Amino acid sequence: MAGSALRRLMAEYKQLTLNPPEGIIAGPINEENFFEWEALITGPEGTCFEGGIFPAKLIFPSDYPLSPPKMQFVCEMFHPNIYADGRVCISILHAPGDDPMGYESSSERWSPVQSVEKILLSVVSMLAEPNDESGANVDAAKMWREDRAQFNSIADRIVKKTLGLHQ
Amino acid sequence: MKALLATVISLTLTVVVIGNAYYQKKQFYPSVVYLTNSNPSMAVMYLQAFILVLLIGKLMRKVFFGTLRPAEFEHLIERSWYAITETCLAFTVFRDDFNPKFIALFTVLLFLKAFHWLAEDRVDYMERSPVIGLVFHVRILSLLMLLAHLDMYFIVHAYQVTMAKGPSVQLVFGFEYAILIIMIANILIKYILHAIDSRWEAPWESKAAVLLYTELAVNFLKVLLYIGFVTVMVRIYTLPLFAFRPMYETMRSFKKAYNDVVLSRRAIRNMNTLYPDATAAELAAADNECIICREDMHSGAKKLPCNHIFHAACLRLWFQRQQTCPTCRLNVLRAPEPPTAAPAPPNAVPPHAPNMPNMPLPHMNLNMPHMNLNMPPNLNLPPNLPPPPPMMSWGAPPPPPPPPPRPAGLATLSLAELQRMEGNERANIEARLQLLQEIQAMLDAAVLLMQQYSTVAARHPGATVATQTDSVKESPERSGAGEAPAPDSTSPSGLEPRPGAAQPGPSKDLPSSSVMSSTSTSNDSTDAAAEELRRRRLQKFTTEK
Repeated sequence: MAGSALRRLMAEYKQLTLNPPEGIIAGPINEENFFEWEALITGPEGTCFEGGIFPAKLIFPSDYPLSPPKMQFVCEMFHPNIYADGRVCISILHAPGDDPMGYESSSERWSPVQSVEKILLSVVSMLAEPNDESGANVDAAKMWREDRAQFNSIADRIVKKTLGLHQ
Repeated sequence: MKALLATVISLTLTVVVIGNAYYQKKQFYPSVVYLTNSNPSMAVMYLQAFILVLLIGKLMRKVFFGTLRPAEFEHLIERSWYAITETCLAFTVFRDDFNPKFIALFTVLLFLKAFHWLAEDRVDYMERSPVIGLVFHVRILSLLMLLAHLDMYFIVHAYQVTMAKGPSVQLVFGFEYAILIIMIANILIKYILHAIDSRWEAPWESKAAVLLYTELAVNFLKVLLYIGFVTVMVRIYTLPLFAFRPMYETMRSFKKAYNDVVLSRRAIRNMNTLYPDATAAELAAADNECIICREDMHSGAKKLPCNHIFHAACLRLWFQRQQTCPTCRLNVLRAPEPPTAAPAPPNAVPPHAPNMPNMPLPHMNLNMPHMNLNMPPNLNLPPNLPPPPPMMSWGAPPPPPPPPPRPAGLATLSLAELQRMEGNERANIEARLQLLQEIQAMLDAAVLLMQQYSTVAARHPGATVATQTDSVKESPERSGAGEAPAPDSTSPSGLEPRPGAAQPGPSKDLPSSSVMSSTSTSNDSTDAAAEELRRRRLQKFTTEK
């Protein structure tokens, strides 16, 4: 066998393959390297991201699960909690002690109890309900608050783009 | 494609330049002299040499690494930039020695450094991949051996040159290669550890510790080398600016390694002394799975004061970062009591014991003097107080809103529950402060009550007087109750509004009257006195208005 991080990632991969949560697919990009995953997340129903399929990649540290992975969407995204380069900013991905936005309580931070599945589910709920307090993307947060119609139209364009439907 | 084009162009240029020289001079030596005296020719030759080095690098990379992963490539580029900048800085110190030979030596140094970095990354990669083939081991081992021999050769060379001709730029080389050979040793140790680990079926628990100490030792050696080098350089030449960045980074990683070791040792000590091993029954009750590594626990499991069970090894690694329970985030350092008593309520203190306040209750002690100050000095209490009525008889602070569920008494709580309700967040502290204010208000009320009571007692010597003890008893009971979010609350944050903070303490807002009315209605044993008291109090309030 091998290191504990690797074993745990393999266990999580098996779990995600056997019982995939709805609307989420995730696994290593290449089974020779279990520390780089890709994930496909479908936009939650009843939200402006409904119908979209958003690809993301997860990079795990070598001391996983003691430290959280990093997650980055590889498609265009426009969302208050996603940086312009696709990096996801949610508290579950932050180790206790580092708080880029200075508003998170330690109870919702990373701990070894969390898992890839929980991260992805959190991201789905983040897509459904942006936290406009955090503002990884300030423009998106402002638009979400003040001009929902335009936000929705941008989201709609992104959804179509992820589906390969160019307008 | 671009690389191929560049190679072909440079090769053509070189052939043309050399061919031209030979064509003009017809003989070997004159041609060489012609070439070296012509700047354009030399530029072409340098370019050719540079491309040759790159080609050899590619070849070696293919032989020892196959294709590089993107992360490795990025890492390589990033480190190369730093190394090239620092090399240029180093040139300024040795500008007197500046000649093609030294450029060549520096190129070789950079070249070898790059392979050290790649080897390091590749060995780290061992931990990440489940498929490590024989080819991998052969490649890594042969590369490490080759690099170690080259490093040794250059160190010896530098030493001999320095001994024979005095200090020169060879000092820098000797030092750089010494650093590199330490790096090789570090990589080799890591490789051996990973290789052993990958052969074992069971997780190897002490691997992390061995890695930690290796890191410490290696960084210590490096720091010593850097300090020695800088001292020598300052004495012979000038401040070696080019060595400062790596020196700083080495010192930082040494400090980090040292902190890690300290934290790890503390975690191990806590683990061994504070937390009991989980029994088989407890393991079965807790699904038998360690939530950190998601594997079954058979032995070596530890139980925290909050009753969560983990592998000792997993827990130790986590405690190096965070002194909290991974599941419920209980701060384990704030729970230093040996938790042997935690599973069952401590039997030493019987429930509803009359001497409840032997629990440490600083709130009460804070408030007591205050109460005593407010007490008129001429207050003479009957010396023989009757036994205090049961704890709860003083009742909840007057509803509305109804009081939160509270434990029957602090004594029935386990230590773990007590510690959980203590918390350390801001909200808890605010709740506590709020609570203290309420307690103070109630104590003031009690003092007032006492004054009136004593006047009543002076007139009716037979009446029982129990209020003083009640008011004293009241505070521990309240403080315990107010801080208790129902003990089964598993909320890890402790951020939900605490009962004390949530209700704007009614007793504080309406100081004495409401408190006392609740008292006098709920306490049956002092009916007669209470009736009298209420009458007098009403009278007093009306006169005050």
